Amino acid sequence: MALGLIALLMALFTLSILVGGGSLSLTDAFAALLGSSSPENNTIVQSIRLPRALASLLCGAALGVSGAILQTLFRNPLADPYVLGISSGSSLALGVSILLGVTLGWWGPYNPYSLYLSAFVGALAVMVLMISISGLVRSITTILVVGVMVGYVAYAATSILQTLVEIERLRIFVYWTLGSFSGARWSLLAPSLPLLAACLALSAVIAKPLDALLLGEDYARSMGMRLGAARLGLVALASMGVALVTTVAGPVGFVGLCAPYLARQLSKTSSHRLVIPYAMLMGSILVVSADLASRLVIRPLELPITAVTSLFGAPLVIYLLLRGRSVLG
Amino acid sequence: MIWTVRLAAGFKNLPVVREATLEVKAGEFVAVIGPNASGKTTLLKTLASLLKPLTGVVYLDSTPLSRMRRNEIAKSIGVVLTEQPAPGRLKVFELVALGRYPHTGPLGRLSERDREETMRVLSDVGVSHLAGRLFSELSDGQKQKVLIARALAQNPRVLMLDEPVTFLDPRARVEVLLTLRKICRERRVAVIASLHEIELALRLADRLIVVANGSVESYAPPEEFVEQGGPRALYGMSDGSCFNPDLMSIELRSLPSRGPVFVVAGGGTGAPLYRMLSRQEYQIITGVLHKGDIDYSVASALGATVIWEEPFTPIRPQTIEEALEKARTAFAAIYTSPPIGPTNSANQRLAGLLALRGIPLIVLGKGQVEGAWSRIRTLGEVSQALEELENAILERERVVEP
Repeated sequence: MALGLIALLMALFTLSILVGGGSLSLTDAFAALLGSSSPENNTIVQSIRLPRALASLLCGAALGVSGAILQTLFRNPLADPYVLGISSGSSLALGVSILLGVTLGWWGPYNPYSLYLSAFVGALAVMVLMISISGLVRSITTILVVGVMVGYVAYAATSILQTLVEIERLRIFVYWTLGSFSGARWSLLAPSLPLLAACLALSAVIAKPLDALLLGEDYARSMGMRLGAARLGLVALASMGVALVTTVAGPVGFVGLCAPYLARQLSKTSSHRLVIPYAMLMGSILVVSADLASRLVIRPLELPITAVTSLFGAPLVIYLLLRGRSVLG
Repeated sequence: MIWTVRLAAGFKNLPVVREATLEVKAGEFVAVIGPNASGKTTLLKTLASLLKPLTGVVYLDSTPLSRMRRNEIAKSIGVVLTEQPAPGRLKVFELVALGRYPHTGPLGRLSERDREETMRVLSDVGVSHLAGRLFSELSDGQKQKVLIARALAQNPRVLMLDEPVTFLDPRARVEVLLTLRKICRERRVAVIASLHEIELALRLADRLIVVANGSVESYAPPEEFVEQGGPRALYGMSDGSCFNPDLMSIELRSLPSRGPVFVVAGGGTGAPLYRMLSRQEYQIITGVLHKGDIDYSVASALGATVIWEEPFTPIRPQTIEEALEKARTAFAAIYTSPPIGPTNSANQRLAGLLALRGIPLIVLGKGQVEGAWSRIRTLGEVSQALEELENAILERERVVEP
């Protein structure tokens, strides 16, 4: 099963490099990948398509992990960075950074590190807010509605920001809010690689506390887990994942919801030792194929990626709500 | 082993229990009883270090829990909480292996020893055959056993359970409690369980911790609590229904609304009849019973008028007189055919005298009495016969009235 999924991902990844908006033939594209085509073609494939394919693959994996963490923290299969307003919070922080030029770091507003940091802080803020709310309100439906509302508020704030600024900055920012991998370049992607390496290393140690949390917080503590520290670590990791995606591609909806769901279905367990890698794999497969679809459906125009992911994501939300079981099964 | 000094437990500086000074020894089975919302859960959670004590200290041997790291506490105390977890698609083995949490490394990988321990606790609790099943598909009783196994997998010296059998059917209830006792004895684990089933708690526990009105008292053995009249005070109900200390169970009373029935019983032959009559709201007069007889105990607990003798003494003529006097208001008499011996042979005569005085006498069983109105075999027939007699009386009154 796992091997089949990896093969599928590799096929999609290759396809994503070879096929695109331009009129490059497959053989040309392949030659360009190896650097033996015309300089123009080489550039298209190596500087545009390759980073784009890689970005969609990495972001998918990040969304898969973030979704899996959120679903176990909230003890609900409907939790997802997009649904809970975390992506919107991240976008708002990015908006503040790009539109107003306000940054948290010592880098300029367009510096990738600065963007990551802003997106991270925005995601973290909403996530902490949502976790505090979920401590007060038990009903998951209420929490979801609150999440959607938080998303709207962040969206409204972002819109207000947009009306305030000059057209040039706006043009750059609209790129992000639409949600697309078309802006993924090496310059944006390269700084994320050390972060990603850190995330991957951390994913190895989150399976144990997440499994304990399946039984609830009291049980987890009774087994020797330091709840505060574990929760902080998990929230930070999930925020890093969301921040990466928002910075590179803008908000991408529902992948964080579908990937862990499919992971549990395919691995036939809720044990995170399997759910986490499967969720990464499924997230990558979903995002790479959604990105492919967004480019190919109305070629040469492109669809926003959330338009594609919502098509399979939203029905799953409805299905899970109708099924009415708040079980991670 | 685990002990407290002047412990106050509760939330946000609102103590639910105060001044709790307790000690539980290794291998002891402790039942925590008390009314709902009396603070049993709060006390248990504080003992398990899931809640911080408001004041006072919980010690494990000589170390205060507050000075121990979570991981160390987890190696000493395992818990089973009231709320059943819903861990999704987790198999029984995986769930029980989670109990190895404090013993595994940061990756949570199970060593050979961890696997062996997991299998061992599964078989100790008697659920090895469920290892490959999904937890969510088990029955409530099986789930509870699996959760006990999970707690044991931590290899604790104290096992704390909050209402482990409340939602189980009677058979599963006894099974789970006996499993706990077995674990307690074989592994020398101290078991502290809050129970609502006072009858079972009294029969099972080595020590009873009673939580009521903010105070915590400890009784070992639990019989001391019964001797001091504790259950009556704790579970006394407004209609007089009460705890029967001889049988260590609760008898339900009902307010008599139907005419008095005189019952001649003894040797345990009356107890089921008393319960039926009380339920059907008959006023009960019974005698002559010897103190210490189950019939005596049940009849008194039900609020019947009891004419009695001291144990192992023959029934005196004046007691028979008293019985006949009290029986005058009865519209029916029932003889339950008790075994007859030298101390109670007068009861057979009493039944005959009642019949002679015109009280319709129902003989239940094989007893030989002169002048019986009817002879029947089952309790159901007794209630039919009594209704017949009542109707006959009503009929007679209607005829007389005009």
